[in-house]
Amino acid sequence: MAEVEETLKRIQTHKGVIGTMVVNAEGIPIRTTLDNSTTVQYAGLLHQLTMKARSTVRDIDPQNDLTFLRIRSKKHEIMVAPDKEYLLIVIQNPCE
Amino acid sequence: MPVSPVSSRSRPTLGQTITSQPKSISFPGKVKATQTRGYFGANQSRMAVSRTAMILPDMKSAEKLNSPTSRTVTQVFDANGVDVTPRPLYRSDTHVGTAKPSKLLTSQEGSRGSDYISSYSFYQNTLNPSMLGQFTRSVLGSSTVSKSSVSTTESITEDLEEPSYKWERLASFTDLRVLRTIPGKILKEDLEKTIEIILTETETLRLFDLPTVMLSVESEEAEKVSQRNKNYEILCRNRLGNDLYVERMMQTINGAPKNKDVQCDRIIKEDKGIMSTAWDLYDSLNALELSSLPAKWPAADSRSRTNVAAKPREQRAPGSTTEKNSEASSLMDIENVILARIHDDEEDRSEAILKSDKFHQDLFFMERVLMENIFQPKLAAYRQLPVLKEPEPEEPKEFLQGKKVEEVEEEVKKEEEEEIEISAEQSTIPANLERLWSFSCDLTKGLNVSSLAWNKINSDLLVVGYGHFGFKEQKRGLACCWSIKNPTWPERIYQSPYGVTAVDFSIGSPNLLAVGYHNGTIAIYNVQSNSNVPVLDSSESPQKHLGPVWQLQWIEQDRGTTGDDKREILVSISADGRISKWVIRKGLDCHDLMRLKRTAASSNKKGGEKEKKGEALISRQAPGMCFAFHPKDTNIYLAGTEEGHIHKCSCSYNEQYLDTYRGHKGPVYRIAWNPFCHDVFLSCSADWGVAIWQQETLKPFLSFYPTTYVVYDVAWSPKSSYIFAAANESRVEIWDLYISTLDPLIVNVANPGIKFTTVLFAKQTDCLLVGDSDGQVAVYELRNMPTALDSGRGDIIDTLLGPKSHQPG
Repeated sequence: MAEVEETLKRIQTHKGVIGTMVVNAEGIPIRTTLDNSTTVQYAGLLHQLTMKARSTVRDIDPQNDLTFLRIRSKKHEIMVAPDKEYLLIVIQNPCE
Repeated sequence: MPVSPVSSRSRPTLGQTITSQPKSISFPGKVKATQTRGYFGANQSRMAVSRTAMILPDMKSAEKLNSPTSRTVTQVFDANGVDVTPRPLYRSDTHVGTAKPSKLLTSQEGSRGSDYISSYSFYQNTLNPSMLGQFTRSVLGSSTVSKSSVSTTESITEDLEEPSYKWERLASFTDLRVLRTIPGKILKEDLEKTIEIILTETETLRLFDLPTVMLSVESEEAEKVSQRNKNYEILCRNRLGNDLYVERMMQTINGAPKNKDVQCDRIIKEDKGIMSTAWDLYDSLNALELSSLPAKWPAADSRSRTNVAAKPREQRAPGSTTEKNSEASSLMDIENVILARIHDDEEDRSEAILKSDKFHQDLFFMERVLMENIFQPKLAAYRQLPVLKEPEPEEPKEFLQGKKVEEVEEEVKKEEEEEIEISAEQSTIPANLERLWSFSCDLTKGLNVSSLAWNKINSDLLVVGYGHFGFKEQKRGLACCWSIKNPTWPERIYQSPYGVTAVDFSIGSPNLLAVGYHNGTIAIYNVQSNSNVPVLDSSESPQKHLGPVWQLQWIEQDRGTTGDDKREILVSISADGRISKWVIRKGLDCHDLMRLKRTAASSNKKGGEKEKKGEALISRQAPGMCFAFHPKDTNIYLAGTEEGHIHKCSCSYNEQYLDTYRGHKGPVYRIAWNPFCHDVFLSCSADWGVAIWQQETLKPFLSFYPTTYVVYDVAWSPKSSYIFAAANESRVEIWDLYISTLDPLIVNVANPGIKFTTVLFAKQTDCLLVGDSDGQVAVYELRNMPTALDSGRGDIIDTLLGPKSHQPG
């Protein structure tokens, strides 16, 4: 458990990381470094997108599954590690 | 004597149903009873009683009831005996009703047939659609009609029986013992029983049949039909103006349609949508095959499918949510406790999520991904992927695509531009070391890097040993496994109170890491597991080293004569003057390969000095600092001592040296065989010098004294036999012997206060790792190195021997 905390902390303090969130399957944040409304918004939107992405991957080959999702935008990059029970979301600004 | 019988009759029929015989009711006092044949009713005692009750006050005539239950076919006669039984207003299809009831009658003559008949007739009549709605009374009438038809008497007082219809109907339904089962008490189990509903195909109902009027040209009747068609055509043509044909109009009478409205209960419709996807089908199929274990958090799973578009996954135990709720509700303070309970569950679950392995793994990947983002251009340079300029210098792209990589830092960009402009020949920019990144973290700050080693299988995995060299400076020690993919945090951390002085990965089992400590112990770790406990430890062994283990190496030795496969041994050299080999059997087994004895100066050399027993170990042993096994013949190895001698030894002899190379005046810190020329080796020592030796010559072939600092480490480049790197206290030098033997090719000066202590070449890439005394391992890229010529692998001795032989200093 301590190791998990340490890793989370390290991730949060990495260069360019804007925010780190762990939300459970209902969108309730478990750990977050951003404010609640932003977290909930991210969680809701990314949840749907992850569902869609996973559905796409599995439609092509049902034995496959989604492991990681990265969305690169102009301003930053959103990285999502999805699971059945939670979503791990990290937003990073890779330019600096 | 009015026609009161009719009216008077009306009352009794409220309750009456059946009489045994048809009663002909005439005026009071005169009652004739004509009986129909075989008309016995069933019970309806109730009715009968009521009837009698009704009748009696009305009818003062003594009407005998032969049996309490029987159908009445009443006939009314007036005073003159004329049958004035009112006729039914409506006659149903007598055909419909006759057939079955008559059958029944005949079959069950005389015994309880009538009620069946009656009910059946009711049934029939109610089904008759033409009756419905037209005459309410006629329904009743029709029932009585059928009765009458059965009974063959025409006189039936249907209106008398009208109010009783309903009762009769009910009664008859209750009479239907045979035809319908009385519904008993519905038990709870019945409700939950699985009821099998078998759907079968009915016979085809033909609603419309329009036979075809087309025939194939090839059928047999085609001839006839075509002939007929032709005749018809001729006929039509002849028709006009022909006297044989006269036109005449006809009018068909259409019945006046009548609309009938029917109102029914509102049909409640529900829309249900389902998206069926390929993976959903696959999952369902798998779910059937797998034995369904109840999931750990079934409630969470059942709630997790909140998205409508997604299909529900495997069916979890559906009763679990109710389970949880029922648990909560069983407590006293229901509301609060339920909330608290759910909250606890939520917390528990979030804790469980955080602790789960999957989360841990996801964090690990996430960190790697972040690293990749941050270090991406550096890693690309490390892996020697082409680095090109891009028009919009905003985003770094995925470097795995290998196509375009963004440069972020300004100076690097400039160099890139220059690189692109300049051709691949000897550029005007000298070869340089470009620092890519450095492995360091908080843990390693302030420690001295003492040794570096690559993993034999995973070329991204590096182990760094941290420990101070000097006796007085001893601090805690650390051995860390770093991965190229994450330069900010090591993958494995092995701490110890003693400084680490030597590390090496095994060749045969690449997950084994041997670590040598300043106190002489050797520990073997398994890096596959996460534990910090060494797998094997030599601290208990009676033959452990008593001085710092300065070098460790795993060697694969041919067993040769014994016929075994190559076995791997761990060879260590330490300051107590022993070179030992360790074999992993049940523990660490140690054998001495060699005891390094002090040799006096060459002039007074005596052979075979014996060690004094019981003496302190300092006296006769020469502390060993380093060793190097011959790349081709693993029986031969060189050992460097603190005296400055390099001894050539063989594993077969553990008493005598084969040769001694004298050239250094201080402890020899490192010996390295040239990977291409197997006769040449390199050594560095604390006497500020680096020397190149040839195997046969006992004096150094070339020596270099570039600075006045101790040279801690040297290494040959894996790409060229002319290039080697040397790290001394103040700088790192790259020498290229092909170009010059006087000056190093590249010199990288250290920051003040930092000493470079170790160097290691990366195998596949042009990169050099340099460890320093501040706990950092910096990765440098060798840029603009002179292209390796074909003779780069050649014999440097030949190249250098002729014109450039240099006097040893």
